[in-house]
Amino acid sequence: MADAQDFKAPQSLGHWGTVSLGIGAIALVAWVIGTYFNVEQGLRSWILGFIFWGGIAIGSLGLLMLQYLTGGAWGVVLRRPLEAGTRTLPLVILLFLPIVYGVATHQVYEWTHLPATDPVMAQRGIFMTPWAWILRGFIFLGLFSLMAYLLNKWSADQDSASSFDDSSKLLEKMSKFSGPTLVIYCLVVTFASVDWVLSLDPHWFSTIWGLLYVVGWALSCLCFMVAILASLVDHEPMKKVLGKRHFHDLGKLILALVMVWAYFSFAQYLVVWSGNIPEETAYYIPRIKGGWGWIGASLIFLHFAFPFLVLLQQDFKRHAKWLAGIAIFVLVMRVFDYYWQVGPSARISSLGLESGAFYISWLDFAAPIAIGGLWLWWFFGQLAKRPLVPVNDPYLEEAIEFGHGH
Amino acid sequence: MSENIYGIMAEFDTPTQLVDAAVKVRDAGYTKTDGFSPFPLHDIDEALGIKRSVLPYLILTGGITGLLSALGLVYFVHVIDYPIIVGGRGHFSLPAFIPPMFELTILFAAFTAVFGMLFLNGLPSPYHPVFNIPRFALASREKFFLLIESRDPLYDYEKVRAFMESLSPQEVFDVPE
Repeated sequence: MADAQDFKAPQSLGHWGTVSLGIGAIALVAWVIGTYFNVEQGLRSWILGFIFWGGIAIGSLGLLMLQYLTGGAWGVVLRRPLEAGTRTLPLVILLFLPIVYGVATHQVYEWTHLPATDPVMAQRGIFMTPWAWILRGFIFLGLFSLMAYLLNKWSADQDSASSFDDSSKLLEKMSKFSGPTLVIYCLVVTFASVDWVLSLDPHWFSTIWGLLYVVGWALSCLCFMVAILASLVDHEPMKKVLGKRHFHDLGKLILALVMVWAYFSFAQYLVVWSGNIPEETAYYIPRIKGGWGWIGASLIFLHFAFPFLVLLQQDFKRHAKWLAGIAIFVLVMRVFDYYWQVGPSARISSLGLESGAFYISWLDFAAPIAIGGLWLWWFFGQLAKRPLVPVNDPYLEEAIEFGHGH
Repeated sequence: MSENIYGIMAEFDTPTQLVDAAVKVRDAGYTKTDGFSPFPLHDIDEALGIKRSVLPYLILTGGITGLLSALGLVYFVHVIDYPIIVGGRGHFSLPAFIPPMFELTILFAAFTAVFGMLFLNGLPSPYHPVFNIPRFALASREKFFLLIESRDPLYDYEKVRAFMESLSPQEVFDVPE
């Protein structure tokens, strides 16, 4: 059995956490002041930050279960950062509260103002009332937290397992749990993403929306985690763990997820484009014109084509620093993607703008930075709490050896 | 006798022995060499000094060819040969063309991958001298083999034979043509 002390997290994590907390706190103060003067804009920006950072936490849960199902060295070395990501869910629940406040007081989401006679609202009935929406939100986050709690508990038990048999049994238990739970996870992500993001445009609908979020959150999580691994690779203990082939495999996964994201996004667009019905095209028309159109075009070239072409090359996947550069670039493009979805959606108070007009508020920067600072602080705190690799995992030795092959 | 020899082969018990021996063979300057193992050995490529295959570039070329052929096909059909208006859209409607372009990219790339792999491996190959050694059948079960071909520029029967013996193999064979 490996010694947990050998894989203790480096001290610098605490320093990074403090810096994040400082930046986050300053941005949070700015956001609170800005929101006091324009509650709807403040909360819309908060939703943007929430689905990005909360998505990394929820995506960690999905990837964690995925690696239990597939096995492989990449999963063993990525497990602890993913677990730390899932343990940020209590903070994510706290970060959900401003949105709850906005919905309860009818200050964000246009549907909270639609008359009950509106055909869509009449069809959805009690499902589309603020309290039902809030209750569902807590159920989704509660289910995610339960999954995260169990997986983290068993993983901690594995660390203190005294024999190879015990630790193998726990791994088997986690793998068996992950199969059916991943199905439930995808369903919950579907419902959550429809409630939190798609309902910003209450008259529009898309059946692939949930899958777009399953993939989008997994992609942003994977990119974030690769950047974290690449920043740990120069320090002990990860210096002796990570090798070129781990990054090669993670790079292939990023490439695959970038392609799946593009596939789903285009599938959604193609169906609407082919159908050409006003109630469906209403979503895309503001998003392919003017400023939003430029962001949409940048998604095709910078969120898909550029990372795709770069990641086709083996060398880019094998250098930790290069791969981290691409991962951070994709992460930034994920923000653009969310912004492109949230930004043009219907507003309660028009601010004198035409519906769907291009408009960027400084709060759109303040809120994601505030949430990001707080989230990163929590994440680094959690990451430092446990050894950086699952020390008693039956495949740990094999996984480390794998990375240093050719 | 040495006229009809295809090469000299050594048998090893473990993959580590094979890789260690392969490194020595490479360092001795032999280039027409090959290693045989029941399962993929990632280290053997570097140990024998085998360069990366050109296959990825062939596949990329195949994919781009597929993409452009599909674009050419739909462009010819919808814009030049039989231009009709469908659903009120222009003749050149890229979103509708993307699915066939995507499919043909995959198809051509996959075909290039399969047939390129077979071609570069020299397959199908109904006869190969290595199978003249009865024990070579074990290469697909539990033994590891290393071969120096007689067309190697440094090949000299006595020297290669002695060199192979010096690698402490299980056994050394002359492989007849």
